Amino acid sequence: MPRAKRTELLYALLFTAPFLLYLLVFHGYAFVRAVFFSLTNKDLFNAPSFVGLANYVYLFRDERFLLALQHSVSFTLVVTVLQTFLALVMAAIVNQKIRGIIFFRTVYYVPSILSSAAVTLIAIWFFQRNGFLNSIIGWFGAHGPVILAFLGIFALAQAVQVVWERSRGLPVSVFDPALASLSLLVAIAGSWILCALGWVTPREAAPFDLAWLSETRSFLGIPIPLWAIILLNTFTTIPTLMLIFLAGLQDIPRSVYEAASIDGATPVQQFFHITVPMLRPVTFLVVTLSLIGTLQMFDQVALLGNASSLDSIITLAYFVYNNVFNSNVPGNVGIASAAALFLALLTFAIVGLQRLFGISEKGY
Amino acid sequence: MAAQIARPKAKLDERFLARRRWARVGWVYGAMLALTVFFIGPFYVAFLGSLKDNPLEYPFRYYFAQLQPANWAAAWRLGQQGAGNPWTGGFAPGARVPFEVAYFVPRDQQPVPPTVVVPTRRAGAGLSAVLVEVQASQYAKVSPVEEVSRTPAVVDGEPGQIVRYRFTVTYPGSGPKAPRLPLDVEAPRTQRFYDATLDPNRLERRGRVASWDSITPGFFGYTFRNYLRVFNEARNPDTLESLFLRWTANTFFVAIAAVVINLIFASMAGYALARMYLPGKNLIFGAIILLLAVPAQVTFISNYLVLRDLGLIGALWGLIIWIGIDMARVFLMKQFFESIPREIEEAALIDGATPLVTFFRIILPMATPALGALTILTFQGVWNEFFKATVILSAQQNNYTLPLGLNFFRSSYGVQGDWGAMLASAFLSMIPVVILFVVFQRYFVEGVSTSAVKG
Repeated sequence: MPRAKRTELLYALLFTAPFLLYLLVFHGYAFVRAVFFSLTNKDLFNAPSFVGLANYVYLFRDERFLLALQHSVSFTLVVTVLQTFLALVMAAIVNQKIRGIIFFRTVYYVPSILSSAAVTLIAIWFFQRNGFLNSIIGWFGAHGPVILAFLGIFALAQAVQVVWERSRGLPVSVFDPALASLSLLVAIAGSWILCALGWVTPREAAPFDLAWLSETRSFLGIPIPLWAIILLNTFTTIPTLMLIFLAGLQDIPRSVYEAASIDGATPVQQFFHITVPMLRPVTFLVVTLSLIGTLQMFDQVALLGNASSLDSIITLAYFVYNNVFNSNVPGNVGIASAAALFLALLTFAIVGLQRLFGISEKGY
Repeated sequence: MAAQIARPKAKLDERFLARRRWARVGWVYGAMLALTVFFIGPFYVAFLGSLKDNPLEYPFRYYFAQLQPANWAAAWRLGQQGAGNPWTGGFAPGARVPFEVAYFVPRDQQPVPPTVVVPTRRAGAGLSAVLVEVQASQYAKVSPVEEVSRTPAVVDGEPGQIVRYRFTVTYPGSGPKAPRLPLDVEAPRTQRFYDATLDPNRLERRGRVASWDSITPGFFGYTFRNYLRVFNEARNPDTLESLFLRWTANTFFVAIAAVVINLIFASMAGYALARMYLPGKNLIFGAIILLLAVPAQVTFISNYLVLRDLGLIGALWGLIIWIGIDMARVFLMKQFFESIPREIEEAALIDGATPLVTFFRIILPMATPALGALTILTFQGVWNEFFKATVILSAQQNNYTLPLGLNFFRSSYGVQGDWGAMLASAFLSMIPVVILFVVFQRYFVEGVSTSAVKG
């Protein structure tokens, strides 16, 4: 090896040494040790002895683990589907060439930059039995008649206008924005008059009363406290995914859309036949990120703490932590390692499956 | 027939199209604003909640005493009268605090002056129960209650009169300054509280008893009462040092240390991986990609044990070392260095500079934009780090970082449902990241969209 090359190698090693050391100790060594621990009855203080696959067998007999597994998988599926879809729709809305778009994009990103601890704390307040969420749901419930009247008048006004314009021979669409603006004014005035006359009044609905966090019931097989976490997680992650979609959207040439609209494609058709297929690689990335992130969800469960019963919110990541630090018999390192490795396998498997079947590539 | 339908299309005049275009822009902005409300609204409402005496008030009201300018002015004036401090108030020797309350008395009742007491009250429940606070009740003198005026009025459809009373709370002689001057005013049955110089913090027993946390609160003390509580109530029982300040300092320390470590080592590693001769480079990349997908739950047990062997459990350095050098940042820097032309290094090499000098003197100064992005993203990530902090620091209350502190507040105040301090602590902990975001939002937003799609 020439001298110059040897010096370069020496410097390269010098430059990368701290990083490689960190990688080796905190990732490589840690991973190998986790595999080793999972085959032993290791606890936090004693020397381990080999127990073979007993920990894995134990896991699949442990009700709490099965519960955590069920929660993690359903949480991951629901959140991934919800946030991918909503993020795509939002990105399509935000992808407009209008003034001030940068400002709006920045504002939407706020929930994503804040610490999960602070946001979860606020969310717990939000989800209290007499918290803001129930209060606002109750308001909408009570004002149902008014809202219905408003929507009815809006639809009616829009229909009348569309029919009128079409009878004049103008090819207006049902959602024509100019007509909709007028319909909006008519609907506001109309519902205001109806309310003032007392023909339509908010009803005396019982306040919406759902103890989100201490509820023991389930909805669609997922405990309600976990639904609260699903809503929270979706809310905070949408903006990040939206930005990734947005970057992808901006790579789609405008000319494709122009060609489509000349051929008479409606915006909805354009969305499903151009936007969705052309975003396939980005969607794949988003779904992968979302799967990995949601499978490892820990913070919200830990922060909810005793606000909810553990059995209604426990996930795999929390199960692992709980077995080492929190449970009645702390330091079940062997079992925790086995569960953690199972979580890792599950992550690889789900991401691999997604790649294999190209779920995201079929569009919606 | 077909010709007839086709004919009007030509009539689409410019004004029709322009109108439609403007309306469309209007709807787009409307949608944007609706999304803004959706993403910012919850924080706005929670912030309002953090100002309230009882954030769990149901149904939620958007107007409450802490938002009334009249109360701001009164709190400011009273703070000045109580301790010469219009911001945070207090009760100091020589104070003379005139105060008025008004009660509604139904028509067929005789007005009776209320009783006024300066009670002895703990600073707060839970955390601060151990603290001994100077109590204003020991030093305050309340003058006799005088009636000022009677005005006929109809309240809630009930005829009667509003009777105004006045009294003065003084601090004669000398003594220590009390941080607060709490007050309870109790009227006889059938009279109802109407208003006062400063709106009370609580109204109990159908409006007969009005109580104030402090009638000399100062502007902050009244409007941002919960925020001051965060600093004042959570204290280390031994040193009386404010825990929240301590946690903030800890978080800054950890975040800054992690940023410096990442700045130096991630850029060095990124540079070497981008430019230098290193056999097995691809092996390293493969390992990184694989390890990135391994959940932190797999590795944390071993890391905990390693740090325990080093005696770093419960220590901030333990957390810093574990946070270590972020693989994603190494990638970011590698990506950047690959875009720098090679001629620059070749020139440096010809001039006889060693790679170390070339890197620190020539390459690194060119990398300022990338280093800026790295600084901001790392700071934000570390500031919000929860899992590693929980594992390492849980047992050491003094060494908590803010996310752990919030968790601690949640568990100690949550039982009593005292949400004021919890919400306030959440907002206080956000301030540095929000400032960073407002100033450098470009880095955050671009960091996500470019690095994710192209990386």
